[in-house]
Amino acid sequence: MDKPVIIFDKVSKDFYIQEEKTFKEFLPNLFLGKPWAKKVAALDDVTFNIFQGETVGIIGKNGAGKSTALKLIAGVTTPTRGKVIITGKVAPLIELGAGFHHELTGYENIFLNAAILGLHKKEIEIKLNDIIEFSELKDFIYAPVKKYSSGMYMRLAFSIAINTNAPLLLIDEVLAVGDEDFQRKCLNYLQEIKKSREKTIIFVSHSEQSVKKFCERVILLDHGKLITEGDPTEVFEKYHHILEETNRNADVS
Amino acid sequence: MLKELATPFLTHKYLLFQLTQRSIKARYKQSIIGYAWVLINPLAQLLVYTFVFSVIFKFPTNNIPYPVFLFAGLLPWIYMQNVLASATTSLVDNADLIRKVYFPREILIYSVVLSKTVDFVFALSLLFIFMVVYHIPIGLTTLYIIPLFIIQIILMSGLSLFFSTFNLFYRDIQYLVTLLLLLWTYLTPVVYALSLVPEKYISIYKLNPMVGIIEGYRSALFNLAFDTGTICWSLIISVFIFVISYIFFKKSEKVFADIV
Repeated sequence: MDKPVIIFDKVSKDFYIQEEKTFKEFLPNLFLGKPWAKKVAALDDVTFNIFQGETVGIIGKNGAGKSTALKLIAGVTTPTRGKVIITGKVAPLIELGAGFHHELTGYENIFLNAAILGLHKKEIEIKLNDIIEFSELKDFIYAPVKKYSSGMYMRLAFSIAINTNAPLLLIDEVLAVGDEDFQRKCLNYLQEIKKSREKTIIFVSHSEQSVKKFCERVILLDHGKLITEGDPTEVFEKYHHILEETNRNADVS
Repeated sequence: MLKELATPFLTHKYLLFQLTQRSIKARYKQSIIGYAWVLINPLAQLLVYTFVFSVIFKFPTNNIPYPVFLFAGLLPWIYMQNVLASATTSLVDNADLIRKVYFPREILIYSVVLSKTVDFVFALSLLFIFMVVYHIPIGLTTLYIIPLFIIQIILMSGLSLFFSTFNLFYRDIQYLVTLLLLLWTYLTPVVYALSLVPEKYISIYKLNPMVGIIEGYRSALFNLAFDTGTICWSLIISVFIFVISYIFFKKSEKVFADIV
């Protein structure tokens, strides 16, 4: 095994849900000594390592802490307690068109989005043809993206993200959109990267099928805690247990 | 800290360029006259203010034709208004980016300042056309507008960093800024000359850092004596505001993604 590229060391992340958004509501509470926000633990004492070249899935129910884990890896937020260590270039999150401007053309948005993901002008120019070709949007590349269908939008975003050369790919439910052909194309492409073992891929999805097919290791989160990690089939068994239990509890109450 | 201060301009300069370009390009898409709004806006204000303050109120302006006198103060003022209004909401407007991708957040603020600077430079061409039309000689002292412009940029960037951060916590700030800008216009010698301010208020009046800057532009353009003391005060205040705001901004930056 190579060296770990992502280390989560006893990581906890608390969120403060601000209930009062305006100063008018905030001020009386300040004087009355009420807490200004409600504390919610999104991650609670989570420890794991992810190694160079691995493809790891993160699964769990809604609100289990998956997105928070991704945010910590992407470096947009910092842990409340514990340590997150990322080796190498910080990974841009594959995010569907974060920063796309709907009035600008697809072509203009390639440059904008790639710059947001940390590329320089020269690097983008080199990748430009690959991006357009992969997105299959050659005929529409000079149309404003607001005219795009959600599938086209997603294709462009995905094409940019995979061409950024980042050693770490974070994939958050990306494959939920787009038509089947393009989904297959993306999965095939990701399989290729996986084989080359040059990139580390973190895959967050609700789709059991694609996680099992694609990931060699799975981490299961529930209520901010790491329940188990390991072989996809075993972890999914555990996950089904949790889901059943939740359903049973829901039935009882 | 100096290294940190320079990062947006060194390692992220292409992103800064792209974001600036985005706001310039996108602003007037799907509009008929497009970028010409940058010129029409100050011209329309000029027309009305000239009528009100020169024809109705007959403000004295030391023998400088009122439209030119006004423009010298109005253009930098509009520049300031545009920067503060857009920058205050810029972090909230880019919530998507802040939640998903990491980059030094002040780039968002600087890109607003830069895009409005491009507008300002375009609008300045109007001023020079007016000066030619009114036969006002354009001398070498005009070059003094450059240091004044730098002071204004420091001041605007500082205030923008500060207001945008606060606006992320409480949206009240954007309304407060609108009000502040309106009141501030009247407390700055934009539509009237500084000489109209009564002697007993002048020392308090000059605490406003925009007084030195706006008056400085006029001194440079119309070859008048510089009020060096007031300009130095503007510089000191501007740098002070910038440093405080910058430290505040970088300290809060870590939680931006959590609260946006």
